[in-house]
Amino acid sequence: MSAPVWEKDKQVRAKVRGTVKGEAAATGRRPRWTPGRVVMLVVALALVVVWVLPIAWAVATSLKPEGETTKTPLEWIGSTITFDAYQQVWESGDLGQWMFNSAYISVMTTLLTVVLCAMAAYGFARTDFRGRKVLYGLVLAGIMVPPQVLIAPLFAEMVTLGLVDTYWGVILPQVAVPAMVFILVKFFEGVPRELEEAAFVDGAGRWRVFWTIVMPLSRPILAAVAIFTFISTWNNFLWPFLVTTDPNGMTLPVGLVNVQSSYGVRYAQMMASVVIAGLPLLVVFAAFQRQIVRGVAHTGLAGQ
Amino acid sequence: MTVVDTHAAQPAAGPRPAPPAAGAPAVRVKRHWSEHGIVFVAPFLLVYAMFLVWPLVSGLGMSVRSENIAGTDAEFVGFDNYAEAIGDPDVWASLWNTVWFTVLSTVPLVLVGLVLALLAHHLRFVQWLWRLSWFAPFLLPSGVVGLLFLWVIFPSDFGFADQALAAVGLEPGIGWLTDERYAMLSVVLTTVWWTVGFNFLLYLAALQAIPAHLYEAAELDGAGSWQRLRHITLPMLARTTGVVVVLQVLASLKVFDQIYIMTGGGPDESTRPVLQYVYDAGFTGYRIGYASAVSYIFFALILTVSLAQLWLSRRNREENAR
Amino acid sequence: MGRPSSLSRRAPGAPSRRNVLAGVGGLAAAGALAGGVAGCAAPQALSVGEGKTRLRYWHLFGGGDGINMQGMLDAFRAEHPQIGLEAATLQWGAPYYTKLGLAGAGGRAPEVAALHLARLAGFAPGRLLDPFDLGLLREFGVRPEEFPEGIWKRGAIEGKQYAVPLDTHPMVLFYNTEVCRKAGLLGDGGKLRPLEGARAFADALRAVKKVTGQPALVTETLGPGVIGPWRLFSTLYSQTGGRVLSEDGKTLALDDAKALVALEYMSMLVADGLAVKRVDYPGAVGVFNNGKTGFYLNGEWEISSFLATEMPFSMTRVPNLFGRATTQADCHAFVLPHQEDRGGESNRAAHAFVAWMLKHSVEWAKGGHVPAYLPTLKDPAYLALTPQSEYRTVVDDVVLDEPAWFAGSASPMWIELGAVFSGVLTGSRTPQNALAEAKKRLRTLLDTRNPFGDSRNAAGGASA
Repeated sequence: MSAPVWEKDKQVRAKVRGTVKGEAAATGRRPRWTPGRVVMLVVALALVVVWVLPIAWAVATSLKPEGETTKTPLEWIGSTITFDAYQQVWESGDLGQWMFNSAYISVMTTLLTVVLCAMAAYGFARTDFRGRKVLYGLVLAGIMVPPQVLIAPLFAEMVTLGLVDTYWGVILPQVAVPAMVFILVKFFEGVPRELEEAAFVDGAGRWRVFWTIVMPLSRPILAAVAIFTFISTWNNFLWPFLVTTDPNGMTLPVGLVNVQSSYGVRYAQMMASVVIAGLPLLVVFAAFQRQIVRGVAHTGLAGQ
Repeated sequence: MTVVDTHAAQPAAGPRPAPPAAGAPAVRVKRHWSEHGIVFVAPFLLVYAMFLVWPLVSGLGMSVRSENIAGTDAEFVGFDNYAEAIGDPDVWASLWNTVWFTVLSTVPLVLVGLVLALLAHHLRFVQWLWRLSWFAPFLLPSGVVGLLFLWVIFPSDFGFADQALAAVGLEPGIGWLTDERYAMLSVVLTTVWWTVGFNFLLYLAALQAIPAHLYEAAELDGAGSWQRLRHITLPMLARTTGVVVVLQVLASLKVFDQIYIMTGGGPDESTRPVLQYVYDAGFTGYRIGYASAVSYIFFALILTVSLAQLWLSRRNREENAR
Repeated sequence: MGRPSSLSRRAPGAPSRRNVLAGVGGLAAAGALAGGVAGCAAPQALSVGEGKTRLRYWHLFGGGDGINMQGMLDAFRAEHPQIGLEAATLQWGAPYYTKLGLAGAGGRAPEVAALHLARLAGFAPGRLLDPFDLGLLREFGVRPEEFPEGIWKRGAIEGKQYAVPLDTHPMVLFYNTEVCRKAGLLGDGGKLRPLEGARAFADALRAVKKVTGQPALVTETLGPGVIGPWRLFSTLYSQTGGRVLSEDGKTLALDDAKALVALEYMSMLVADGLAVKRVDYPGAVGVFNNGKTGFYLNGEWEISSFLATEMPFSMTRVPNLFGRATTQADCHAFVLPHQEDRGGESNRAAHAFVAWMLKHSVEWAKGGHVPAYLPTLKDPAYLALTPQSEYRTVVDDVVLDEPAWFAGSASPMWIELGAVFSGVLTGSRTPQNALAEAKKRLRTLLDTRNPFGDSRNAAGGASA
């Protein structure tokens, strides 16, 4: 019998972390510079360039004077480098409001998802009550229902509940994620019961055991779920796009697409908005690369 | 079912241990095991029931009524909406666009993801660079990606793509998003650039889980790097590939964002996916009952793929068990 | 806390109080929902100060119109310190109408919004829109008699006024005066000599082509959600005396022979190299702006793009090619999106706003639109605008879509037929094929129930 799941999780983490540091996972020694490897390096660098170019072009465009944005042949740098476009979009637009909305909605959704799904998973994995199996089966079946299928009835429901153009209207349909419950159930099932029992013997109730023992023990998996939820909420387009009509309540991606500048086609400004809107998650990624990579690899397989 | 064991990337993973506390201790403790269970699942179930189960059921009801978006004029029309949808060439065209997009995008997304992962894995250094450049686009919202490609990459003439062609001596002036011949391909290109990083990460994790001793043994047997790739790496990635393909197909079938933003489904609806048809009919056209009916046809497609995958993976497991 | 010591090794640190509190907070939120509490609305903008009446206004004006609108809004704000005006510019076209409809359905609609008059029938007056209070409008100095009767009536349904027109925006002919002078097409005063008939127009195009060596005419032929080809067809077809739908918008009235006259002319324009074959909307603006063609067919609103450059140009009515001097048009109008609790100060402010905008519509006319408010049409300040006032007589000959729920600017009909007729211009469809396809799509639209029911779909005034 191999190690329990929750131990295995640590092993996986150790592995992923190891590669983060650039350690060779396949063999322990330092690689030689064979011709094959040089070719690989060249190909890889070329692909890096291909992947970076569109973003670089957006940045370059945003720094040009508006009159030079559509010049041909292409020039990377205009006659001067100017931050006018950034200043204009930040001052004239609703970017700040949208960014706040996105942050608020993403944080609340993540918090609720983690708490609701963890509690439910614990209930399914560790307790018994009448109808537990049936209810768990019902939740698992939900994994096969893509939320996109529900947009029409869900919108009608939001109209009835008066939740159109509210934060809760955006948040609530995103928090009950059956796939996350499944992941957490698998994890909780691997946690040794002895840990809890000791606490019960000491007189702790179920509720306290959950919050003071099980949750702290599950931090890595909870972090993975949280990271994945945060990214997908921050980037979600379709649902917030449908349920917010008032520009003041839109999330970042929805506002960008739906609200236009009154001043016509302004390439530099549009790219400045794009850069500003893309930045937050990239900064977060740079800061938490390791955790994010792990969270996505871990949860991604089940979370789609 | 699309859920896959999170450790699937580890071919060496043993049978799943789920050690139940055999021979439960004292009676008092035993009572604890069943205590409050419903309290833990109730909040989730409430939200789940309200925002997943109920719309799923009420949607069925709406699909047999002539409901509009203001919630009025709802008469029972039986299967009229379904009959209309099945007889509507636009529905079929949009379903076909969805499937076509899925076919066109899945192949490069899986292959490029694999190649990128192999490169990053075998080069073994500056991992941060590979991850940053190939995975970072995945973290951009669809709105950002869509507007970026729509405004400065794909416009004819002054767009970056056209200028890049001109730079290598090809004829610019391609209607990347405006010409029916290229629009879908441009959308696929954008999608590969945007989301391949996800598959890249999954493959990378799988590669790192291949036990080193396999390679060492092969090296002792005198296997070259090409042979090691063919006989060890790729077979060891087979399961991951299965997972990645299924996830990708299911994700691609749900395409909406980038197409809506970049082409609006055009030109002449040649890129409009079925989800946008639902949006057009239900939200732009206010016929939310009819849109529900189309949603269920789409749901049937997704369900078929999911169940087929479930059936295949179960059969595989049984064969492996033999 | 009875935490077993063995645990501390495995899981260092108990959950911080903050974590637990956050969790509890989340639960409380879920609990609040369970109680059926409607969620807190997205934050209202902070710009509305104390004691101000909040007035939200949605519109879809970008480009030059956007700048003019912005200027008018600023002036309105300056004159009405007691009204907190919040204006939002949403993406033009179908996305705008989707948002406006959803806002009406969701019950949190803005106080006032812009709408294309020909879309009114499909916009469920009485459900997604509230009627104007004519008494209030009169109080602010605007009376029904001050509008052309035809378009005013188009805004009324079952005796209630749901839309107050701001302008008419017809398709017009832009021409490059420099190029046309070289081609010998200008008469006295540097104006284009009147062109009468299909042949005369084609000859003029040939004359220009001789000068430039390139196609003489540009008009949008393709692109996402392309509607230019529909506008062109609608104009030419109306000149033959045909109509697309019956007067009540309920049956197909397309005349095959007349439609083919229009479609074959369109096909000829590109086949003979007289018009640019493959060009999208921004591309067409660019081509004309760069002086590459002598003529440009589009709505008058694009004037702002050309006023900003040095290019010498003027504008005139679309020539009469097939017997009638009519041209396709729509009207911008103000509407009151449905609010559960419309009334009081904010509703008053909405009426004051509409009246003010009409009385200051000379500003608006700078963007090329022909004012609907008759006092403005006689205003010397308007008459002094050139070339904006040159084609004002066209308002007597404009053709609006018949009042069907699927018609009007950026409507399903425009998008469907725009795509079909785009094929005629790009050469992917023959005129016969396009006609058959157009009729098929129109029948499908006619067969589709109005999602809001037919009872309110009574015809207003016929096309003006």
